[in-house]
Amino acid sequence: MKKTLIAAVLTVLFMVPATYSFALSVDQIVEKANIASYYGGDNGMAKVHMVITDRRGRTREREFTILRKDVKDGGDQLYYVYFHKPGDVRKLVFMVHKHVGKNDDRWLYLPALDLVKRIAASDKRTSFVGSNFLYEDVSGRSTKADTHTLKEETGDHWILDNIPRDPASVEFTHYLIWIDKKTYLVDKAEYYNAQGKVYRKMVAEEVKVIDGIPTVVKSRVEDLNSGGKTELTFSNIKYNIGIKDSIFTERYLRKPPRKFIRR
Amino acid sequence: MKRFAIAILSLTLTGIPAVARAMDLPFNGYLNYSMGARLVDDPTAPDDFLLNETRFQLDIIHDADAASMEFRADFVNDRVLGNTYIDIREAYVQLTPTDSIDLKVGTQIFTWGTGDFVFLNDLFPKDWQSYFIGRADEYLKKPADGIRATWYGDSLNLDLVWMPVFQPDAYISGERISYWGGTGKTGPANGPINPVEPDRTMGNSQWAARLYGTFGGVESALYAYRGNYGTPKGFDTVLARPFFPRLEAWGASAQSAIFGGIGNAEVAWYNSLDDTGPNDFLPNSEVRGLLGFSHDIARDQTLGVQAYLEHADDFPDVARTDQDRWWVTLRYTGLFMQQNLILSWFSFYSPNEKDFFLRPKATYKVSDEVTATMGGNIFLGKDDNTFFGQFDDNTNVYASLEYSF
Repeated sequence: MKKTLIAAVLTVLFMVPATYSFALSVDQIVEKANIASYYGGDNGMAKVHMVITDRRGRTREREFTILRKDVKDGGDQLYYVYFHKPGDVRKLVFMVHKHVGKNDDRWLYLPALDLVKRIAASDKRTSFVGSNFLYEDVSGRSTKADTHTLKEETGDHWILDNIPRDPASVEFTHYLIWIDKKTYLVDKAEYYNAQGKVYRKMVAEEVKVIDGIPTVVKSRVEDLNSGGKTELTFSNIKYNIGIKDSIFTERYLRKPPRKFIRR
Repeated sequence: MKRFAIAILSLTLTGIPAVARAMDLPFNGYLNYSMGARLVDDPTAPDDFLLNETRFQLDIIHDADAASMEFRADFVNDRVLGNTYIDIREAYVQLTPTDSIDLKVGTQIFTWGTGDFVFLNDLFPKDWQSYFIGRADEYLKKPADGIRATWYGDSLNLDLVWMPVFQPDAYISGERISYWGGTGKTGPANGPINPVEPDRTMGNSQWAARLYGTFGGVESALYAYRGNYGTPKGFDTVLARPFFPRLEAWGASAQSAIFGGIGNAEVAWYNSLDDTGPNDFLPNSEVRGLLGFSHDIARDQTLGVQAYLEHADDFPDVARTDQDRWWVTLRYTGLFMQQNLILSWFSFYSPNEKDFFLRPKATYKVSDEVTATMGGNIFLGKDDNTFFGQFDDNTNVYASLEYSF
């Protein structure tokens, strides 16, 4: 009974956008995809396991807990990242106050020095903790940074072409994204270099509905130039768990919130 | 007997990490071997080695609903000094007695202020010896026993630190590093200095406070300190021994995102409480000021510049060659090879004292567990009596290998 109810609710939830989809403009699709990908719930958390593999097959692993709170849907966000592994970054905390339209504020807390370090963050396309994911992949690229056009529409996807407004600030000339028509999640992204070749690929490998919110629980990015790849697996995903603004302050850099992070 | 000890040691070293991993205990640490030696001959030191030690760190954290506790200690075998000891880095309990107050009680690291390797309002114990011989940067901060109480308000927060017993810096004592002794170089061959420590009375406890908040994106703070100088800057002419004069300090700092980077400014006024009249054996009061800016210069590469001034109220002064001490510091940090290779440069340059100190360093993360580090501490002061110039016989290179679990 319960299962049928959930199925019915889900069908309604997903049917509604599908039926109205014809009326959506490209910018509306992009906005919805942005919100589906990065603004699930008002706040949430997840434990992330990251495996970075280089072209020779050597792997490095990272494990961290992310806490997130949206200041405004589609707008500013607060991020708190606590590292569990590996040993040399264990207990390190990374905090971001993400701003749309201006540079983010970033802090690092180095526990062995009891040092809260404000860090310059002008470039969002740097590698996140040495992986093939970039800061922008983790916290989202501003929807206003590119011009979007609908390249193709298939039964399941809208395929959008995105051209950067400031080509000098990025390493790609354009990228394609496959947006799932039911969930609005980005199932795939392909980045093109100046030679018109795909050099970077991102794939959502597994999506689960958690607390009613379709969520990517496994994703992979491949760097076709270097032959490296990074896989992310999300666990312990929770939404709307009452994470307060105060978590994203110096207080909790020095004292990881026990309610959410057990060391 | 020795074999037995080695067997126990190797069992501990290999066994504990394996057990910790297998049981997924909140139980971590590392094994580090470091070695460093002088590049130049030091006539005051028979031993060219400044660093030759094995450290085994254990870190145990326990989080419960009401409190957290951490015990982190290094088991050190130091072959320069020829001893084995335990260096307790942290041993504290952290409580939240009310929603707006945090308490941290025990051995801990205290840090505040905006300077990068330059300290104005951070008067907590430092380990200069570790800093100059090539131990990891974290060892510059010396653990202290005390209580930190922090009150969090709506826009202002107040930090109060009480250290009941005076805890000096690990200052340059001549134990390992030679220095300017007033008339010439003094070093290990002359034996370390033996200062008088303040009596262990409540009246001699050390207090530090910080009132801070963020206003319009600017992280602002006011500071106060009452205690003693961390280094024995005074000289007791009756006992003919150095001592730690009393110190009171007041200061302020601001830090903010600016011009696409991070800017910081800090000032401090040091009131040398014992210096009540003209006296050549006591440090004078002084003003310290700092301006800093750091900015990305390329992907994964950052440059930081600081201008720093110490201005003594009067001159001549203890351990000064000029009434003003100007420093310009430069930091470069670059991450390469998927951030596994970290190249860094830190330098102090004093234009008015012709003083120079360079700290180049390369760190390579061989794997998630293994890190190799190489670096140098290069003292290039023109004179023998300036802040860094006095250490010129201690110019050294070092290397370390660390396995973390």
